[in-house]
Amino acid sequence: MEALKKGRIFTISDLQNVRISIGEIVEEEREWEPMGPTPMPSISTLRGWDFTLLNRYKPFYAPFCDMCCLCTYGKCDLSGNKKGACGIRMDAQHGRIVLLACLVGCSAHCGHGRHLLHDMIKKFGGDVPIDFGPEVDVEAPLTRLVCGIKPKTIRDYEKVFDYIEEQIVQLADALHTGQEGSYMDFESKALHMGMLDSLSKEAADIIQIACYGMPTSYEGGGPDVPLVDVGIGTIDMTKPVVLVIGHNVPPAADIGDYLTENGLEDKVELAGICCTSIDTARVYKKAKIAAALGRQLRVIRMGIADVIVVDEQCIRADILELCQRVHSPLIVTNDKAMHGLVDRTDDDADKIVDDLVSGRVPGVVILDPEQVGEVAVKTVIQMDKKRKGLNLILSDEEFTYYVNDCIQCGNCTLACPNGLRIGEANQSAASGTIEPLANLFDLCVGCGRCEQVCKKHIPIIDVITKAAYPQIKEEKGRMRIGRGPVWDSEIRDVGAPIVLGTIPGIIAPIGCGNYPNGTKDAWLIVKEFAERNYIITLTGCMAIDAALWKDEEGKTVYEQHHGRFDAGGVLNIGSCVSNAHIHDAAIKVASIFAGRPLRGNYEEIADYILSRVGACGVAWGAMSQKAASIATGFNRLGVPAVVGPHGAKYRRAFLGRPDLKEDWKIIDATDGSEVYVEPGPQDLLVACETVEEALPMMAKLCFRPSDTDRGRSIKLTHYIDLNLKYLNAYPPDWHLFVRTATDLPIAKKAELLKKLEDEQGWEIDWKMKKIKEGPIRGYDPSFNPTNLKRLIREKK
Amino acid sequence: MGMEIPFDVANIPGPEMGEVAPPEVIGNYISSAKRPLLVVGSEILRDDFFLETAIEIGKKGIPIAATGHSIRGFVEKGYTENVSYYNLHELTNCLRDPSWKGLDGKGNYDFVIFFGIVYYYASQMLSCIKNFAIDPLIRAVSIDRYYHPQARMSFTNISPKMEEGYKDMLNRLVSSVK
Ligand code: SF4
Ligand code: SF4
Ligand code: SF4
Repeated sequence: MEALKKGRIFTISDLQNVRISIGEIVEEEREWEPMGPTPMPSISTLRGWDFTLLNRYKPFYAPFCDMCCLCTYGKCDLSGNKKGACGIRMDAQHGRIVLLACLVGCSAHCGHGRHLLHDMIKKFGGDVPIDFGPEVDVEAPLTRLVCGIKPKTIRDYEKVFDYIEEQIVQLADALHTGQEGSYMDFESKALHMGMLDSLSKEAADIIQIACYGMPTSYEGGGPDVPLVDVGIGTIDMTKPVVLVIGHNVPPAADIGDYLTENGLEDKVELAGICCTSIDTARVYKKAKIAAALGRQLRVIRMGIADVIVVDEQCIRADILELCQRVHSPLIVTNDKAMHGLVDRTDDDADKIVDDLVSGRVPGVVILDPEQVGEVAVKTVIQMDKKRKGLNLILSDEEFTYYVNDCIQCGNCTLACPNGLRIGEANQSAASGTIEPLANLFDLCVGCGRCEQVCKKHIPIIDVITKAAYPQIKEEKGRMRIGRGPVWDSEIRDVGAPIVLGTIPGIIAPIGCGNYPNGTKDAWLIVKEFAERNYIITLTGCMAIDAALWKDEEGKTVYEQHHGRFDAGGVLNIGSCVSNAHIHDAAIKVASIFAGRPLRGNYEEIADYILSRVGACGVAWGAMSQKAASIATGFNRLGVPAVVGPHGAKYRRAFLGRPDLKEDWKIIDATDGSEVYVEPGPQDLLVACETVEEALPMMAKLCFRPSDTDRGRSIKLTHYIDLNLKYLNAYPPDWHLFVRTATDLPIAKKAELLKKLEDEQGWEIDWKMKKIKEGPIRGYDPSFNPTNLKRLIREKK
Repeated sequence: MGMEIPFDVANIPGPEMGEVAPPEVIGNYISSAKRPLLVVGSEILRDDFFLETAIEIGKKGIPIAATGHSIRGFVEKGYTENVSYYNLHELTNCLRDPSWKGLDGKGNYDFVIFFGIVYYYASQMLSCIKNFAIDPLIRAVSIDRYYHPQARMSFTNISPKMEEGYKDMLNRLVSSVK
């Protein structure tokens, strides 16, 4: 057979007995960039980089459980860092649990991506081009970086998933009893899994963007994406309502298509919860976002939905029971979550509709997303009529009865993850003051544990909903739809200010809704940093929750701030899988702005990001195993993350020790000299107790050794100011970040020099207003920080 | 005797679970420490009384690590003598290292008292101390209104109805710290 030629299209089915030579494909690959040192790294390839991170940010363990019960030698009591029968110590066992969490998280993203790829190839064929418009040349930074592949069509992702799946299996193998025994190596493996997770997310989002024409840099994309309605109050309950829940958009997209094709867009509401809703809004203009994950149980219990369609991840395990309670038929669309229902994929649509509407079956499985639209829409129209008059909100009498029936036993409080004082609130409602009970609505994470333990059988969730109902009806926010990739042109514009520090940082609120104190914290984080000219890139539930609150002018953060990847921008990047574009933005700063080789060059790019890109993730309500793998993926790439107090239950943190000088020795790549630097960033993963503490912490985690003096003075201004605003005190460590007097915020220079002299004993030249002695190091504008010896240009 | 129920009911760590003790017993236990540290969190800001209690303990010569945003309260009260802000995760990370120099540069502590910290975060950090700050041993107690099985000693769960009783317990505890 002739050798394959570039651009020549053929289909495999046309050919028989063919051997394909990949020689020319390799040649073509070479054209875009020479291959770097680590394409498709295996478990041990990047271990050196991991150990560089792990030696500075030593794994910290806070066991959630002192026992291990994974094999029949057990249970083993590991308390006091004892060893189990297999020889594993408590610390290594916790590294193992962390790896397991990352395995589950990464598998969810990879499984989702692979599933999507199958469905998309079936629907559109494998030749769908990956073309994100004139402003995006580097379309898949993580794919290029990790795999050394520049994907041209979605089919190219077959080999990317082959690679990820093989690595997942190898890493899962390490979990078996009698395999890995070192916590450091477990963590290196977890970091590897985190990287695979980020790659899986990128793959999944690229495939769906390419196939569904989600926003890119073509007209109307990027900063210009439209706004979408967010909040329970935006849903028109006089219409039939289809509620989609989960993360995998094809079934919801098919519902949108069916509504459009049949002229029903204004007659039926298509609303969603969690990431499926974000992605539905990227493909269907009339979609609405009912709520983020934290309100799933409550939105269902309110009876808003006439039909519920679920796909995968973060769906309540008791979804079928909940649907039956509110008389909403359930359509499940994914073989990973079938909830015991009968697979009706190949049945006649009208027959399925009839069974659902008549109540003969509570729900069905339909695994072909292209069959979901017709069934869901036909069902919802009939169910709407059937469910009219059904009121699932408690009557005033019922409400009064229940709040008076409460005996303040406190069982619910002990069961509540947030320890909410429900009994007290009931008592106050019984005596006429409803506010404390209504306030619980936003503080509640919607788990349902309280109701199971109430001996008085009070439907606590319904009682809280009733109390808050007037405000729930007014919950009407606005959010930019998920824009997907950050543009190369945007990176060219902001690369310098980010690396120099004059844009003080990129703040990335991501992930789930297990907040310690309600959704308002999500809004506050965005508002505070956007007003300070940081770049805010949101994804997932935090993107939704931040849209629920408004400022004095009645505007949400998305309406108040522009959507460019630039100072003060508030960008909804998209769903959980879209948050790969945040990794991608950091990678593109290194490759596009700084010209670092990208292809198969993970370690160098991560080293660049760790030393120079002041980005900080915040998963304030991190809950799932995906959040664990997402954070770990950010960490391997050199991006720190802050979690809320529930995040301490992930058991592991990566914390630096500023008091240990040797931990902060890095190399000046210009001449190979070793330099002790300030702790920037101090931690890779840290929990804060309250949002007041988290705000200054995020500002702190944006310091980087590469900051210029101007950049450093801007970062210091915000760090000190946020401390004064929220903690009412100077941070005890602000001096660590001062290298020279020009690092100091100009407006406070004299005051701060005085403090350095008085409190730190630094020597100040008052005539010149300069620091003579004191800082960890002086400021050297030509400093070229790296952690990698191989990057030294000229040895001293 | 029935088992004490952790404030977060399923928070049962394993065979090693702390005792519930009355204020005087915890107070005496604190008094036995050579280098105790009071670790307070943002919940002390919910009522002036708790802040005052922390300050009283501080005045007895026990240094205070103010975690969360609790430092606010001390600054507002003008009490900054032996109080420093510390992030709880970072602090616990230091505590587990015997060579840590402490807040005053004089070395690590042998005893920590947790007070006013969000329950589940405190529980995780107490777990780290229990399992890893073992040589030399750091003893940890909680004086919150919760049963904390990860601490060596703590109070029982105290309902909001018993808030006055809880305050009284804290008063008794403070007077018994020598
Ligand atoms: S895996 Fe090891 S520690 Fe766990 S139960 Fe088995 S022997 Fe014990
Ligand atoms: S468990 Fe039931 S009766 Fe007890 S306090 Fe809670 S709501 Fe009231
Ligand atoms: S449903 Fe809400 S109030 Fe009930 S236990 Fe869960 S978080 Fe607490």
